[in-house]
Amino acid sequence: MKKIVTGNEAAALAAKLARVQMVSAYPITPQTVIVENLADIIGRGELKAKYMPVESEHSAMASCIGASMVGARAFTASSSQGLAYMHEMLHYAAGARVPVVMVNCNRALTPPWNLYCDHTDSLAQRDTGWVQYYCADVQDVLDAILIAYGVAEQALLPVMINLEGFYLTHTSEVLDVPDQKTVDIFLPPYRPSNKLDVDDPKTFGNVCGTDLFSSIKYKRHCDTLSLERLWDQTAAKFHRHFNRLHSVVEAYQTEDADVCIIGIGTATGAMRLAVDRLRKEGLKAGSLRLAMIRPFPIEGFKKAVINAGHVIVIDRDVSFGAEGIVAQEVKAALFDRHGEVKLTGFIAGVGGNDISVETIVPLVRQAISGDGTAVAAGTTLWAEVLP
Amino acid sequence: MQLKKPIESLSELPTMPSTIDTMAWNQTGDWRYLTPLVANKLAPCSQNCPAGIPISEYLSAVRKGHIQNGLMLLLGRNPLPGLTGRLCYHPCQTRCVRRRIDRAISVQKIERFLADLGTEVKTEKSEKIDKQVVVIGSGPLGLSCAFYLGCRGCRVVVLDPCDQAGGALVNLLPKKIEPEVLANEISRLIRLADIKLETGAVIDFDTPGELLSKTDLIILDPTGLSEDFSAPASAVAFNPFDDETVTGDILLVKLPQNLKPFKAPMIAHYIAAGRLTAQKAFDCLVMRSGQQGLAQSDLDLPRQAVNMEDIKIERFLVSGLAAEAEAKQEETWDRERALREVERCLSCGTCNLCLQCVSFCPDASIQPDEDKAAVTIDLDHCKGCGICAYECPRGVITMEEIST
Repeated sequence: MKKIVTGNEAAALAAKLARVQMVSAYPITPQTVIVENLADIIGRGELKAKYMPVESEHSAMASCIGASMVGARAFTASSSQGLAYMHEMLHYAAGARVPVVMVNCNRALTPPWNLYCDHTDSLAQRDTGWVQYYCADVQDVLDAILIAYGVAEQALLPVMINLEGFYLTHTSEVLDVPDQKTVDIFLPPYRPSNKLDVDDPKTFGNVCGTDLFSSIKYKRHCDTLSLERLWDQTAAKFHRHFNRLHSVVEAYQTEDADVCIIGIGTATGAMRLAVDRLRKEGLKAGSLRLAMIRPFPIEGFKKAVINAGHVIVIDRDVSFGAEGIVAQEVKAALFDRHGEVKLTGFIAGVGGNDISVETIVPLVRQAISGDGTAVAAGTTLWAEVLP
Repeated sequence: MQLKKPIESLSELPTMPSTIDTMAWNQTGDWRYLTPLVANKLAPCSQNCPAGIPISEYLSAVRKGHIQNGLMLLLGRNPLPGLTGRLCYHPCQTRCVRRRIDRAISVQKIERFLADLGTEVKTEKSEKIDKQVVVIGSGPLGLSCAFYLGCRGCRVVVLDPCDQAGGALVNLLPKKIEPEVLANEISRLIRLADIKLETGAVIDFDTPGELLSKTDLIILDPTGLSEDFSAPASAVAFNPFDDETVTGDILLVKLPQNLKPFKAPMIAHYIAAGRLTAQKAFDCLVMRSGQQGLAQSDLDLPRQAVNMEDIKIERFLVSGLAAEAEAKQEETWDRERALREVERCLSCGTCNLCLQCVSFCPDASIQPDEDKAAVTIDLDHCKGCGICAYECPRGVITMEEIST
């Protein structure tokens, strides 16, 4: 069945199709519609789930952790300041190995106040141990949430699905809604072998001495690394059921590309259009969308950029005092080719500015010729700033 | 408890950081320095009641539908509930735990309700012992004293030189007490304890009649006699709160300063003084005659405020009076309200197995017993945090220093 819905509506629909058993969230722009829709869906009796109103994002995540530990499929959504407030519990969720899936609607962090898209909120949570996926369109939102539960419950790791504020959350697109029966086959109920159970008393998250701590963290690190493959395996299974593929990387014309434009989120669509235009101008360009940032999809990444001599990264975020966070990630991944590849990083589209073809093409030209309006700051170039 | 063998390889590690088995072997009880003690105790309302009325017990009886039992528990410590219900300052209510939640139980209203309900209560004639006491003055102290002596089988005569019984209470008519309420209260009191009351009596110690000269003990009631009443020279002053033994044949009851002159709101103190006088006088009479067995019929056992055998309120209450009372109850708004109020009592001091402690214990160290009649604390694991004592709505759990 096809519907015209926004990214937020698709997220709520995905939670319903995943038959989540517990929803606990605190509203925040631009995420509010998700929470409202789920409250409606549960209130109408269309989803048998516990809806827990909480006083903060910290408690929202804490209750999702609790619910997950007793074996319930838990869901929450937040954004920006709310996600920042959740920070402590994000570490806990990953450490406790609970397969919570959350939606984060990317929004700039204050001050100054800004409600629009910016990836710094979620990328600042990069090291909490959560799997991070960045959606490109509304269909991707719904599908990625379903895949995320499949992945999370196999790996026992939490997954954060990122939607760009307004570009995805409030933009309507055509959505192919999968039928519930097929979703139920793809995503069977969560049945953990180890959980909080009064009939089988154990202590969870208890004190751990130096003897085992490293081993526990090492094991978690290995499990997180293996998630790149696990996602692609699960996505392949999803593809068999629904005929749509959502890989950890999405390469476009990279096979023979000299220049590779890299980004995350919806701007990667504009990057593909820019590639088409640049190719007409005679430049062998390609583009790569990193759908996953954690774990870093190293295998898919290396395959895609193997031939590129110049990598251009457009970041909708910044690590102040360093450079774009995605650029840092890409740079680290390219280290073994450091003598043979050039990297140019741009900061663009922060606080909601549109990254269109008209933004991207001049930036690529500037990267190649050194001539353009983006201003250098350290190792990065800022677009859209006052002279 | 047997410890599992240590984890030696990565594959043995649970994915979720948890113990691989129960942690019950970790006996955290030795961290404890204060120990929770679960023990029923006197409710704060009763602790603060000058007459020591077992309030939560009688409310509990009423709540269970045993209205007559509740009335007997009340009368056992307070033979004038209709008056205390109107006059007493009710220190019970100021200590009511329910105040922490919303408002205190209106013990005053419930007393009045039960007093009205029990206006017609009767007893069968009880067996008398060969002791006679004359109480002079029919104030609350004298009436209370006469009541408890009568309940113990003494032949009691109350003499009042005035034409109307009630002593200092008469001055409160009709503004603070309706005349029929006073009449009903006194009438029930003398009926239950099988007392003879004589008003307008001529009292002359110089030329005592047969009654005064042959009686075993004369008690002079300060709440029932006017200030100009002159006690005979042979009268011995007796402070029921301080003095332990009764000497002489004429007791002049002396009250402590705070109870002089008569203050109506302190009525429960006068009732208590009357009860203490009766108890000590009775002990003295029994001792003098060597009839020790009767001392067993003590109304004042602290944990069972009334001995039903002693008061002998007839079981007919269930049939005769109950039906009558039922009819009476239904036409009044007071009954419904009183019973609603009774429902609010938390029965402090008595564990009613609400299991609040069980749900609050962070270490799952309190569990109801198998027969679900009490809770038991697992002292092997209780760390002594005290949350149970804080959360217990009835104050049954206290934290104590107990050496183990």
